[in-house]
Amino acid sequence: MSGPLLEARGVSKRFPNGTEALRQVSLAVEEGSIHGLVGANGAGKSTLFKIIAGALPPTSGQLRWRDADVRWNAPGDSRAAGVSTIHQHIPLVPTLTVLENVYIGELSGVFRKAPLLRRYDELCDRLGYRADPDREVAHLPLGERQMVAVAQALAGGASLVCMDEPTASMANPEVDMLFAAVRRLRADGVSFVFCSHFLDQVLELTDAVTVLRDGRVVTSAATSGLDEDTLVDAMVGRALHAMEERRAEPLPDGAPVLLQARGLTSPGRLDGVDLTVRAGEIVGVAGMLGSGRSELLEALFGADQHCSGTVAVRDQPVPHRVGARVRSGVALVPEDRSRQGLVPAWEIWRNVSLPGLADLSRRGVPDHAAELDRAETAIRDLGIRTPSAETPVAALSGGNAQKVVFAKWLYGDGEVFLLDEPTVGVDVGAKADILRLVRDFAAGGKAVVIVSSAFEELLAVAHRIVVMRGGRVVAERLAGETDEPELLALASGLTTVTGASRR
Amino acid sequence: MTTILPRAAEAARARPAPTLRQRAEPFRLHRAGVVYAFALILLTFTLAAEFTGRPFYLSPVNSANILDQTVQVGILAVIMTICLISGNFDLSVGATAALGAGVTMTVLNAGAGVGVAVLAGLGTGVAMGLLNGALVQLVGVNAFIVTLGTMTGVRGLLFILTDGQSIQTDHSGLGDLFTGVLPLNAKVWVAIAGVVLLVLGLRSLRRERQGLVASGHGPWMVIAGVLVAAVSLAFLPTRWELTKQVYIFLAVAVLAWLVLRFTAVGRRLYAVGGNTEAARLSGIAVARYKIAPFVLNGLFAALVGILYVSRFSAINPQAMSGLELTVLAAAILGGTSLFGGAGNVLKSVVGALILFTLINGFGVLNLGANYQDLIKGVVIIGAATIYVLAERRGQRGRRVTDAGGDPPPEQPAPQTERNTP
Repeated sequence: MSGPLLEARGVSKRFPNGTEALRQVSLAVEEGSIHGLVGANGAGKSTLFKIIAGALPPTSGQLRWRDADVRWNAPGDSRAAGVSTIHQHIPLVPTLTVLENVYIGELSGVFRKAPLLRRYDELCDRLGYRADPDREVAHLPLGERQMVAVAQALAGGASLVCMDEPTASMANPEVDMLFAAVRRLRADGVSFVFCSHFLDQVLELTDAVTVLRDGRVVTSAATSGLDEDTLVDAMVGRALHAMEERRAEPLPDGAPVLLQARGLTSPGRLDGVDLTVRAGEIVGVAGMLGSGRSELLEALFGADQHCSGTVAVRDQPVPHRVGARVRSGVALVPEDRSRQGLVPAWEIWRNVSLPGLADLSRRGVPDHAAELDRAETAIRDLGIRTPSAETPVAALSGGNAQKVVFAKWLYGDGEVFLLDEPTVGVDVGAKADILRLVRDFAAGGKAVVIVSSAFEELLAVAHRIVVMRGGRVVAERLAGETDEPELLALASGLTTVTGASRR
Repeated sequence: MTTILPRAAEAARARPAPTLRQRAEPFRLHRAGVVYAFALILLTFTLAAEFTGRPFYLSPVNSANILDQTVQVGILAVIMTICLISGNFDLSVGATAALGAGVTMTVLNAGAGVGVAVLAGLGTGVAMGLLNGALVQLVGVNAFIVTLGTMTGVRGLLFILTDGQSIQTDHSGLGDLFTGVLPLNAKVWVAIAGVVLLVLGLRSLRRERQGLVASGHGPWMVIAGVLVAAVSLAFLPTRWELTKQVYIFLAVAVLAWLVLRFTAVGRRLYAVGGNTEAARLSGIAVARYKIAPFVLNGLFAALVGILYVSRFSAINPQAMSGLELTVLAAAILGGTSLFGGAGNVLKSVVGALILFTLINGFGVLNLGANYQDLIKGVVIIGAATIYVLAERRGQRGRRVTDAGGDPPPEQPAPQTERNTP
């Protein structure tokens, strides 16, 4: 074959409301290559994905597949041609088994397992990974689900697999597993489009990278000629990652203890965790998925009903109930914004005022003016990009929605902030804003406990890092005295550092 | 910060007046469809009555009649809407109403006073609601299943209580308390309501001009107030013979609307229904907001049962079967979401009025009762379809929702770039 496998030529997309999501975007994916697609939130990645998948028609421009012009009007068209798209929220059926999910496209008539199993084994050989075919997908960890989704794409005969943020909230060993499979398949002739916020992973995995900004291609080059600096500069047009290199100053002695937890135990989740956080301190919690890091935050917030042990705020014991913890000044920014943090159909102001509604009300009637003031202050303070406080949060991009979740707690009496993966799915610019915000909390004398899969973020922002594994705290380090490989080794239970992750 | 934020003077003046599009929002089809449908039905029946030479359809007598017929379903539709907003579902209201009525009658026949009997009936309803709420919220059984069970079981309990027979009473106390007519001088009172609306509208407009926070509905309130006052002074009767039960119904509806629309309690209820987990993690006592609607449903179901027996002085164990489905139909006509978080009790009331206007109209115009249920079914499905289509059309103009990843920017891209710090 002479030309590229998939080519987009001058593709533009204009939405009926006037938004120009893509302008003259050109992109070429070679056969047997991994093509990275990066850009800040709202840069047009998802729109481009949808056009490639046939879910959206381009306003102008041409899509070419195997040297022929194509016009895909439905996802079925592109799939028949050999393009498979795996969205961020993997569309597997959780109540079916792995095998049934992989072959869901061809289930018909009588379900005969034996021939499918034979083909599944061949497929797993290609993939270099085998998930138990009889397990229900609901019981699989996130990383394995991604592998099952890849297997499903291959079973459907895909020669191009588009992955949207496959590694979001995946722990490093899972990422390595996925990357190994992707490389193996590339050697087999399968092509990939890999879209991610993790630039180190993009650099590690891909052969070529296209950077989108505001719907335009700003860079398109072979990966070998790029580094993180050039990528970030291309994405946001400024160098802002300097702050991530900084380490927090050590905490002055004698700061009062704000949060003290003793012997937090919850069956199958936590196993005797002690934690002390002082005023002005940021404590990072490092750990793999399922290490008990999110469970620790839930227990601290009183959201775990089976939890035993004591939690005291300013030396006052607080019972294990969310209401009591909130009243004593504990605030949680949960991991899953749309499911746990926001009422999606509500406007920004209504979401922001929800936890503080009692304070904003006079005789049980919310003061609408005060609510709007609070939301507008938040929009200014946090740099939330929105036309007004009346915008429903469902219409905001990931980073802006996350800022709204922060804003919910910002103007109350919160003293202890529990942050669960505050930067997942957030673009570089918003990430820097959020980390700055976290530092400001601490500078204002509040206590912060932050959980993140991105250990370099913990290192950049925290004073002290506790490492969790199997529901226990296995180590504790000052941020200035440790580094990413050590944290990784501690969190994964290794004694020496391994893994493909770039440093 | 525990106090109300002081408003900065310059911020106050910066607040722009709402655009015409924002002002027109409440009138869009998916928001006000049920009101349009009601108006259309009334118009149809009125014209049909004129052309067939029958008396004026919306005469004081007939309109009072429609209201009176709507009372039971109307009250329950209001409370059912609260339950649906909280994200739950209650099928047991018809059975609970019958049980509450049965208990009241039994206690009354045992020689107790009316007050005691009514309290016993209402208490039974509250107990049923607590049972439903506890099973749903504290044990975690699906609300549909729980209330399907209590619906059947409570009906069975009533059969045991009555041994399958009708209960009757000679006691006139209930009838004295809950039936009868309280004539309303509609000309005066509706005109006063119009003037109040006018004043509220003017106040809203003044706040807008001062740059204060306002609903943006000022102009409509002024126009509506003037129209209501004029029409009532010109056409409404000085003696509108409404039954006592209609007043109870309207009071329940207005009170529920005020609480849901204007109080923190109402806001939290919508939050609990809109996203239970987010509400819980915002420190809201979710269990309270999930159980209370069931208790209210039980309480008001029992009240409706008592209103029912106060008319007939008798109840058979099959009375009010299927009531819950009519109530749900009214709530759905009113645009209440079955998934929680959205709904308006006044629109549910209009939904109930539609259902009973249809029944009434078919009777008055002598169109044949056989067609009634068919028409009702068509109206329910038609309303739901229109809501879905109108909502979809409304969204298409605004933005393309995104299931997978980053949504396209809300604003055109150049503006986004300028906003980048």
